[in-house]
Amino acid sequence: MKARKRVVTSADVRAGAKAAKPARGADKPKRTPTVRTIRSAIVAVDRSARSGSGRPRVETGRTAVADRGTPLAARPTLAEREALDRIDLSVELAPQRGLRLPNPIMVASGTFGYGVEYGEVVDVQRLGAICCKGTTLRPRAGNPPPRVTETPGGMLNSIGLQNPGVDAVIEKYGPVWQGWKVPVIVNVAGESIEDYVEVVRRLDGVPGVAGIELNISCPNVGKGGLQFAIDRDAARAVTAAVRRATDLPLLVKLSPNVADVRPIARAIEEAGADAITAINTLSGLAVSADRTRAFLGNTYGGLSGPAIKPVALRIVYEVAQVVSIPIVGIGGVTSLADVLDFMACGAVAVQVGTAIFADPELPVRLGDELRAECLRRGLSSYAPLVGTALPKRAGAPSVKGAEYRP
Amino acid sequence: MTMRLVSAELVETRQILPGQWIQSFHAPELAAGSRAGQFVHVRTGDYSGLVLRRPFSINTADPATGIVTLHFRTVGRGTEWLTRAREGDRLDMLGPLGRPFEVDPRSRHLLLIAGGMGMAGIRMLADEAVQGGRQIVILFGAQRASHVYPSSLLPDEVEYVVATDDGSLGHHGFVTELVPGYEAWADQAFACGPHAMLKRLAALAAGRRDRLGVAKLGRKKGGGRQDPMGSTAARRKAFLQVSMEQTMGCAVGACLGCTVIGVDGPLRVCREGPVFAAEEIAWESIA
Ligand SMILES: Cc1cc2nc3c(=O)[nH]c(=O)nc-3n(C[C@H](O)[C@H](O)[C@H](O)COP(=O)(O)OP(=O)(O)OC[C@H]3O[C@@H](n4cnc5c(N)ncnc54)[C@H](O)[C@@H]3O)c2cc1C
Ligand SMILES: Cc1cc2nc3c(=O)[nH]c(=O)nc-3n(C[C@H](O)[C@H](O)[C@H](O)COP(=O)(O)O)c2cc1C
Ligand code: FES
Repeated sequence: MKARKRVVTSADVRAGAKAAKPARGADKPKRTPTVRTIRSAIVAVDRSARSGSGRPRVETGRTAVADRGTPLAARPTLAEREALDRIDLSVELAPQRGLRLPNPIMVASGTFGYGVEYGEVVDVQRLGAICCKGTTLRPRAGNPPPRVTETPGGMLNSIGLQNPGVDAVIEKYGPVWQGWKVPVIVNVAGESIEDYVEVVRRLDGVPGVAGIELNISCPNVGKGGLQFAIDRDAARAVTAAVRRATDLPLLVKLSPNVADVRPIARAIEEAGADAITAINTLSGLAVSADRTRAFLGNTYGGLSGPAIKPVALRIVYEVAQVVSIPIVGIGGVTSLADVLDFMACGAVAVQVGTAIFADPELPVRLGDELRAECLRRGLSSYAPLVGTALPKRAGAPSVKGAEYRP
Repeated sequence: MTMRLVSAELVETRQILPGQWIQSFHAPELAAGSRAGQFVHVRTGDYSGLVLRRPFSINTADPATGIVTLHFRTVGRGTEWLTRAREGDRLDMLGPLGRPFEVDPRSRHLLLIAGGMGMAGIRMLADEAVQGGRQIVILFGAQRASHVYPSSLLPDEVEYVVATDDGSLGHHGFVTELVPGYEAWADQAFACGPHAMLKRLAALAAGRRDRLGVAKLGRKKGGGRQDPMGSTAARRKAFLQVSMEQTMGCAVGACLGCTVIGVDGPLRVCREGPVFAAEEIAWESIA
């Protein structure tokens, strides 16, 4: 049979489509920060002592010059370059064990795979740290599809912790991470305290693993599926058990799906966590197009993206008033203004998640922008930007209606 | 070519059918580095609160002019935003992404099957096959005549056979009903369209060898090495390759959001796909 074109179709409709393009949203107005001295995890390294044995000194907030100078030109002059280089963005997340990040912009678990997937699009070495996908003891196939969907200003996901299991993660990515200068923090999930402990034990001592982030937003099978993250005693128990199993820097990640997060945060601190990361996703649901069922294969999903930023800020703000370990803010970061908001509420570092999908270069760029912001304000580190929005004395829990009255 | 972030300049927008558009972009890196079956992840205006990029097949790519085209249907806010982009605007595209169709070098007769917007998924393969001197039949299914892809937009060398659900043009019925008439002629088949259509095609392909009675001709039992499932070599030997869709987050394999269920577990459409050999998919999981 010889192929030839047969014309069996309708006419080719041509039409112009030249509606005006809507204007881009105007930039968020910048707020003038109130600078006050707070206890801070930010360590400004004394350059002269760097190669020697001198201990880094802790920088307590210094008065900022909130000058409104013109923003840096796209290509800084040599003098500006040198001034930028002098600004210290490093931060110590585990003061007792040592988890120093070159800058406070991390990438969030589950949104950046194992650090290799974005390949040449992102220079991973310039990130503050990478939190890898949630890792469990045994391989997990995850939830049925579909697993993601966009929602207003955010997205829902129900990946279901698909991962090849801790041994495969170590074998496959350990050697890669070892060759990187960016710290890699392994996000760990489990269904029982024993699971968590066993995963962490296997990660302990693996070259290339800089720390652990416990994802405690998992059902505790031993407690009828109640999430560790919403039960103060379970959160304390799992943190303490993991603490005994490893000397690796230990970060514990809070869930927002609780009435009052403060007792849980305190329990985690008391149980020996080095830092708290907050927040994980909010529980949500989307409906299928024909409205006959839930859209996601798993029915429920976790909400992330700009839509959750106010919730994340509120939680960081509350936790910052009750714990003294470093806090990492997560939730809807898409701009330097967001980073500064989290810092103002007491976060010493942030994680970028969902925004990476639209703008993979964002985390690296935010590091540069933070540096430029410090220069603009005449700061040698960003320590003075941390905690500026916190009240002088701890407030009552917002859930009791003290601050929130519709 | 490895994926990269490309700033693609819109040079032309054309409405080719009601609600269907072809946009041409000047993006020499994509035009030169893409293969049929691959896709781009396009960033829409974030002023509107759209937090995710949108995936689109690379409809055509011309290395000589540096032009790539996308063919899409307006179904929601992202695609509507695209239609409002103006000539000269630069769009942020991540690509080329995913794995392409793999044509066996010995295949002379290619059967391309598209349902609706699936035409965008196989369109570039027609160009590649024409350049390779192969013979091509495109079977195309649409709801009705007004939704049928214009033949003027196809290369002259292809045979184009149309089916419509309401019989207003060509065969009255599903495009899959046309396939048995070509299964003896075709050396390989490549399809893109609704998952139900792909599932039907996979069932047809599975029974094809028996019907043709040429099942294991020339293949010694246990002889020769098995190419691992999902490898390029195994796909090249597959009779039917399908291009699948799934909602996506990252489109680079990082978020595990875009899986379909394969016979050996979840498969990422953005990384292992979007093109798969039909044998790789657990079709019973697809409605
Ligand atoms: C690999 C691949 C290639 C594709 N190629 C084409 C193409 O060439 N032409 C074309 O018209 N369409 C194509 N699609 C479908 C296209 O991505 C969607 O139609 C588009 O994302 C809809 O966006 P929206 O904002 O207009 O719709 P909305 O329904 O408002 O989108 C909401 C969300 O759902 C996602 N979504 C909606 N429909 C789909 C879908 N069918 N597949 C995946 N995600 C979806 C969107 O990306 C967005 O995140 C392709 C999809 C994939 C996965
Ligand atoms: C697709 C996807 C997968 C995620 N997987 C994990 C995970 O495995 N472990 C975890 O602790 N958090 C996971 N998260 C939550 C993020 O790390 C982050 O806490 C949340 O998305 C909020 O940040 P964002 O608004 O910047 O995305 C995931 C988020 C997304 C969107
Ligand atoms: S879309 Fe993220 S893995 Fe495919």
